[in-house]
Amino acid sequence: MIGKKLGQRDVVVLDSIPMLIICIALVFGLYLSCITGIASNNAMRYMIQIFLFITLGEMWNLLSGFAGMTSLGQQLYIGLAGYSVAVMTTKFHMGLGAGLAVGVLVSTIVALLLSLILFKMQGMYFSISTWVVAEAFATLFLSWKFVEQGSGMTIRVVPYPRIGEICILSLMICVVAMITVYCLLRTKVGLGLTAMRDDITAASAVGVNVFSHKLIVYLIAAVFTTLAGGIFFINKGIIYPENGFGISWTVSMIFIVTIGGTGTVGGPIVGAVIYVFLQEILARYPGWSNIILGIITILVILFLPTGIMGTLQKKLRFEIFSSKRFSFAKHK
Amino acid sequence: MSEPILQVQELNAGYGDFSALEQASFSVDHGQIITLIGLNGAGKTTLVKTIAGLHKPTSGKVLFMGEDITRLSAEKIVSRGLSMVPQGSRCFNRMSVHDNLLMGSFPKSARKHAKETLRHVYELFPVLEEMKKRPAGTLSGGERQMVAIGRALMARPKCLIFDEISLGLSPAIIKDIYKRIIQINENDKTSVILIEQDTQRALRTADSFYVMLKGKMVLSGKSNEVDAEMLKKAYFGI
Repeated sequence: MIGKKLGQRDVVVLDSIPMLIICIALVFGLYLSCITGIASNNAMRYMIQIFLFITLGEMWNLLSGFAGMTSLGQQLYIGLAGYSVAVMTTKFHMGLGAGLAVGVLVSTIVALLLSLILFKMQGMYFSISTWVVAEAFATLFLSWKFVEQGSGMTIRVVPYPRIGEICILSLMICVVAMITVYCLLRTKVGLGLTAMRDDITAASAVGVNVFSHKLIVYLIAAVFTTLAGGIFFINKGIIYPENGFGISWTVSMIFIVTIGGTGTVGGPIVGAVIYVFLQEILARYPGWSNIILGIITILVILFLPTGIMGTLQKKLRFEIFSSKRFSFAKHK
Repeated sequence: MSEPILQVQELNAGYGDFSALEQASFSVDHGQIITLIGLNGAGKTTLVKTIAGLHKPTSGKVLFMGEDITRLSAEKIVSRGLSMVPQGSRCFNRMSVHDNLLMGSFPKSARKHAKETLRHVYELFPVLEEMKKRPAGTLSGGERQMVAIGRALMARPKCLIFDEISLGLSPAIIKDIYKRIIQINENDKTSVILIEQDTQRALRTADSFYVMLKGKMVLSGKSNEVDAEMLKKAYFGI
């Protein structure tokens, strides 16, 4: 989007039928490799991580990059998701689907209630408040007997899903999340969001309902973050308050979006792939990993302020998943 | 004479304990240009923000074409036909000039006529059509102000509020912009409210005037019958 606006020459928007075919082929290929067992368990372990982090990145990007709501508390929904699945399977002996459904329900209610308070704040105050709320939930779960306090909960279902099934589920969530973001940005809501990001006062002066726009984005982000978080903990099998509600979730989302390119739909894909592999490499140097991730983020902000995807799009003058909209009056 | 298009009755508003508006009342007739003048901090911007639904009043009433719009949200007020050009030439910097203007027809009521209104705006500001593909952030102050005015016109307002339109612009550009405002008023019968510190120019343009001081309306009258001495006293509160 930024690349397109600043360039004088025309930009090739790769949104045509061939692009669609490539995307479908890619998704179908990944799907086939999961069900036929071409991909090894190890490869699928990486793929699950990548798909889930793409989803989380896309959602954080939607919040921060497109709607200007820099939340530091998205881990709240990940924790709620993990605990919903754990409670439903362990305490009520229900299936994983029921766990995820309850997770989405709980997250939606929490998001609706929080929106009333959080949306009164802007900028840094909003960011800090979201973090505080997430920390409050962490403390609550640490002392709540029903969820085994700090000793955590395991997710128990018989039979436990195989890694291939979890992988397909993550792929599905990831694809649906991306389609949702892509479509949302091309509607009137997306247009309103772009206006809000540029100037919130001017946006409301032309008749953009700021509250409802924020609410739509916040709810969508909450739901998909919940789904991705739920699947992450189904894959892991165990949840503690510290890893469910930890700030490190948001740290990784920020890393993924900044590296990939804020405000681009393609960015979080690049960011998530880099993040998952970096995490794997850095696991050998415990204690150093966060420092190295931090240094990389700072370097990218300094030298590639629009991220890898943003810079590539500007240099090579193309755009994938363009958020170019305007349905009600065509450009000439 | 029919009833006024906009009536503000005893409006009170503030920020926390600080009251910025005290019993402010004024009215605008159909097709009229009025000006609200006053020093910095007199409450002019708070007043228009409250009218436009961007700030909530503590008490009082705003009637637009007979309808009570005091508690309506900003976007509903815009779709009723009351638009504002906010202070400081605020544009959507990363959007093109063209997109900025189209944003103005965001309300449903305006969207049907978007194409037609756009042609009208380009006729009024031909310079905008020449640079319609440029991002608004790269324009000069005067051009950005034109974008902001054009954008407000896209909502097809019946009453248009200009908040300190001349702020930070060169005299030549201010003159040009005032010419357009008069044109908008004459051609479309749009009522206009000018919030100004440039008292002389505002008085020359407007039919009637109101002077604000410390949140109160301290003087009002017809622009052509203004008493310079009284105006000065009211303006500075001496």
